[in-house]
Amino acid sequence: MEVDRADGRNPNQLRPLACSCSILHRAHGSASWSQGDTKVLAAVYGPKAGTKKNENPEKASIEVIWKPRTGQIGKPEKEYEIILKRTLQSICILTINPNTTTSVIIQVVHDDGALLPCAINAACAALVDAGIPMKHLAVAICCCSAESGYCILDPTKLEEQKMKGFAYLVFPNSILSVLPEGSSLVQGEPMEHGIITSVTHGAMSGNLSTLRVSVSHL
Amino acid sequence: MEAKPSTANLVDKIVVPGDVVLDLSSMTNQTIKLGGGLRQECDSVSVIKAGKLRFSKPNKYWVESSQKRYVPCVEDTVLGIVVDCKADNFFVDIRGPTIAFLPVLAFEGGTRRNIPKFEIGSLLYVRVVKANPGMNPELSCTDASGKAAEFGLLKDGYMFETSTGLSRMLLSSPTCPVLEELGKQLSFEIAVGLNGRVWVNAESPSTVVLVSNAIMNSESLSAVQQKIMVDKLLQRIK
Repeated sequence: MEVDRADGRNPNQLRPLACSCSILHRAHGSASWSQGDTKVLAAVYGPKAGTKKNENPEKASIEVIWKPRTGQIGKPEKEYEIILKRTLQSICILTINPNTTTSVIIQVVHDDGALLPCAINAACAALVDAGIPMKHLAVAICCCSAESGYCILDPTKLEEQKMKGFAYLVFPNSILSVLPEGSSLVQGEPMEHGIITSVTHGAMSGNLSTLRVSVSHL
Repeated sequence: MEAKPSTANLVDKIVVPGDVVLDLSSMTNQTIKLGGGLRQECDSVSVIKAGKLRFSKPNKYWVESSQKRYVPCVEDTVLGIVVDCKADNFFVDIRGPTIAFLPVLAFEGGTRRNIPKFEIGSLLYVRVVKANPGMNPELSCTDASGKAAEFGLLKDGYMFETSTGLSRMLLSSPTCPVLEELGKQLSFEIAVGLNGRVWVNAESPSTVVLVSNAIMNSESLSAVQQKIMVDKLLQRIK
């Protein structure tokens, strides 16, 4: 159905993406990821020897520090840290460097909607830049739904505030493969299976089928 | 997006983590050696680090990438900094995930009576002897036959850190263009560690600074650009 978005995008259209790697001199890996006006800087240090007390020493551990643009660190920042840590733990191979800690530091440069997916993408790019072994990449997107039942992707902050509910979804990337059935094609576009993380806010009943269709067009 | 042919060959192409590069079920009775950046998962080999996939005959595959952090491998020559001395080992930092051990007796003619005394912070040129996952790597100041062969303490000079890709380029043969150009005009001594550390020594500090700057600038330049860059730097000091 026809939707009027403030910047004239289609419901399925993302904002322009920009990513640059190795921008910080001292960090072992760094990346800056921007979707439209939302910009996040991620830095990775490690792996360094030693783990914290309540971490499993037989696996590598990942530590996330989230720094907001202004203000002190509070509960929302801690929540983002936990979500990011779980997501990154599921894409990194933790058995390769046991008893080490990799620190990921996220700095919010500007927040204009879809902040957590932008941070997940930036953290993944920074981990690739640092050479941390990973099973696959993580692709994060935000989709939200309004009262009238339509859903849109990658909202700006104004659009996010008007919506009834939104969800952040993180998928593995679509891979190049030499196997004949490696890259499965659905309707001529590569599809991946599986969700790594999903975070939902608000009430979103009855919209899941439209959500699935719109996300498969990414 | 088009369907990829089933025999797509990814050698010499850029790959990202998750790409499947080899299908082992179609390659029975062959021995394949996998280097860094690749992992075997049941019947396929997938990539765990982003980089360029390389293949060398007859059967070696690896992913070439340049990082600021070093992954210890056996028979690598690296530059380490002493951080602590214990009864049996020196603790040496080689820029990897864990601290490496250098046994106190791993020197030419080393006995309990002539243990060398290294101060904390001294720079050593050493060889990696053991690099097992999950264990601290072990080093040695002798080559495989037990001779000293230039390993040991590096005095004076200046050490700087670069990426592992640049140190591999400096050690490649034929000689790297930037070192060749610098060697035509200046005389200096250089030690390159595969962990990204480079040590330079010369009579005058200006030569040391010039050589270090030239090497640090040459990471992303082609051979011709490196020669031009070195010429410009040398003209400045004349």
